[in-house]
Amino acid sequence: MALLDVQGLTTVVSGYTILNNLSFSIDENELRVLLGPNGAGKTTLISMVTGQFKPTSGKIFFNGEDITGRSPDEIFIAGISRKFQVPNMYETLSVYDNILISLQSARKVFKYMFKRVTPEDNERIWEILDFMELARKANEPADTLSHGERQWLELAMLVASNPKLLLLDEPTTGMTEEGKRRTAALIQRIAQNHTVLLVEHDMHVVRQIARKVTVMHQGQVLAEGALDEVVENEMVKAVYLGKGGQH
Amino acid sequence: MVMAGSGTGGARSARRARFVPIWALVLGALVVALIGTFPYYAGDSSYLLLLLGKFLCFAIFALSIDLIWGFTGILSLGQAVYFGIGAYFVALSLKINYALEHPTRYGNKFPDFMEWNGLKELPGFMTPLISTPLAVLCAVAIPTFLAFIFGVITFKRHIYGVYCAVITLAESLILQEFIIEYQAYTGGFNGITDYSNYVGAPFLWFILAVTVAFFLIARALTHSRIGTVLKAIRDNDVRAEFMGYNVANYRIFVFCVSAFMSAAAGALYAAWVGIVSFLDAGPVFSVEGVIWTAVGGRATLIGPFLGAFLVRGLEFLLSSSWLANYWQFFMGILFIAVVLWIPDGLVGTLGGWLRKRRRGTLEQIREEQDLLARDRQRDWEPAGAPKAGEETV
Repeated sequence: MALLDVQGLTTVVSGYTILNNLSFSIDENELRVLLGPNGAGKTTLISMVTGQFKPTSGKIFFNGEDITGRSPDEIFIAGISRKFQVPNMYETLSVYDNILISLQSARKVFKYMFKRVTPEDNERIWEILDFMELARKANEPADTLSHGERQWLELAMLVASNPKLLLLDEPTTGMTEEGKRRTAALIQRIAQNHTVLLVEHDMHVVRQIARKVTVMHQGQVLAEGALDEVVENEMVKAVYLGKGGQH
Repeated sequence: MVMAGSGTGGARSARRARFVPIWALVLGALVVALIGTFPYYAGDSSYLLLLLGKFLCFAIFALSIDLIWGFTGILSLGQAVYFGIGAYFVALSLKINYALEHPTRYGNKFPDFMEWNGLKELPGFMTPLISTPLAVLCAVAIPTFLAFIFGVITFKRHIYGVYCAVITLAESLILQEFIIEYQAYTGGFNGITDYSNYVGAPFLWFILAVTVAFFLIARALTHSRIGTVLKAIRDNDVRAEFMGYNVANYRIFVFCVSAFMSAAAGALYAAWVGIVSFLDAGPVFSVEGVIWTAVGGRATLIGPFLGAFLVRGLEFLLSSSWLANYWQFFMGILFIAVVLWIPDGLVGTLGGWLRKRRRGTLEQIREEQDLLARDRQRDWEPAGAPKAGEETV
């Protein structure tokens, strides 16, 4: 059974059709890369799945449950974490605290109120900080981090929340080649225990990690399959790589 | 104060301040002792004593604003609504009781301002207020409930920021107009006065105890995990929402706590000062509270106390000179100056400066170097990354 199953999703915003009867699914423990030219609707799809916007029609099933139209916090509780395109964290909190409040736990106000940081929590936080190479900055406020480190911190927060499905929206934006390579390695490592949907533009990164890719165009799925097959697809060449493009 | 992680691989934890750091404990005890013994060296009926109790109430009021504004990022320009409602409940109750023992000129046993406005007897809905304990309960419970309603209406609909500030400002204007309009029940322009208030050492200690208790509650709230969530919501509410936090519920919760403190401050104020007027519920007082918090330092707990005492103290000093007429003018300049030059307020700026200095201590540098060395010893690649041989590029 598919972990995430999107059925006939259509989104119309002020007359423009952003997603057009889009259907696709991801299996458990899959690492899927979502490709597509600008305006294909990749980020919109993620926003729909995470409840930021409500679809005009269509259904989203997660783990067999209908999550269409639920609020972002409910969808998070169901097990979907999202990484934003621009690094998005709690600027004045320390790196440690950023991870702390991302840990998997009850989220209701009165359940949370008397929660303490247990030694296990502490252990887990340092494990994640070590894993993400952020341990040295643990006590620094997040706004003192460099751009690359911020991207990593947000990834670390997602890992801390231990979701069933991670939606990563261009996590390598604005990084150096070296940073991209290391981030790709990190994502591979994360994908060993999690299901990951990655939106990515950079073909080097895609080539480094992709097993199966989905290409979107004008709000629809254009092609799906192994990377090598997909890049040979004539339609994909036409819309994404430029007609007759050498690759 | 510092529980620094060691670089030698032992159990590590975050650098975190104690619940009450030693210096704060000493300083706090000193201040409490100073305020507590004030009646002895100032005399029981001194004007300064009256002022001191008043300032303590204002400090609680500023603290309540700091909780929502400084720590959660909700700017309320109408927190005086809750202060005012709390104050009016207590003042009405005290006034009704006073009238029972001190009949009016015509021998009526109900508040004189009602008589002037043509009422023949105490209105039925006010009779429960004869019981002062019940009035005190209403004074804190009703504002808290109203804050809850307000929170459900606004925060649940994702209304916050400037819109929220404007709505709260309108709220306090409405309440002020309401008080002036329904003068038969509220005393109108004149407010409620001439009742037996509680100025004196015992009640000062009571106010002081409540202040300390609220301070500790605020510390516990902001120092705990839930406090971290509140600050996270202040920093980035969207991220918090996508991390599973029902941001609206957290906002409602802290708004209710703040309203409760504000209302309690109002109740104490009414009992202490012996006069309550529409000004205590109006927008000017609300904004004043925001200024005290800004001057002292928002997102710090000492800030609101310092701000309230400093600004109000300055006002008191200046009001005896020719500058009195220009006080509002100075207040405006002060606020602009603080926003421009020390946006973190006095305490925040001082704290930031101290932190910067502490970072340079020998211990700090050694710790930093330890961690650096350990990082270098480890594989350069993040754990689990493909090694050089198995590149997939």
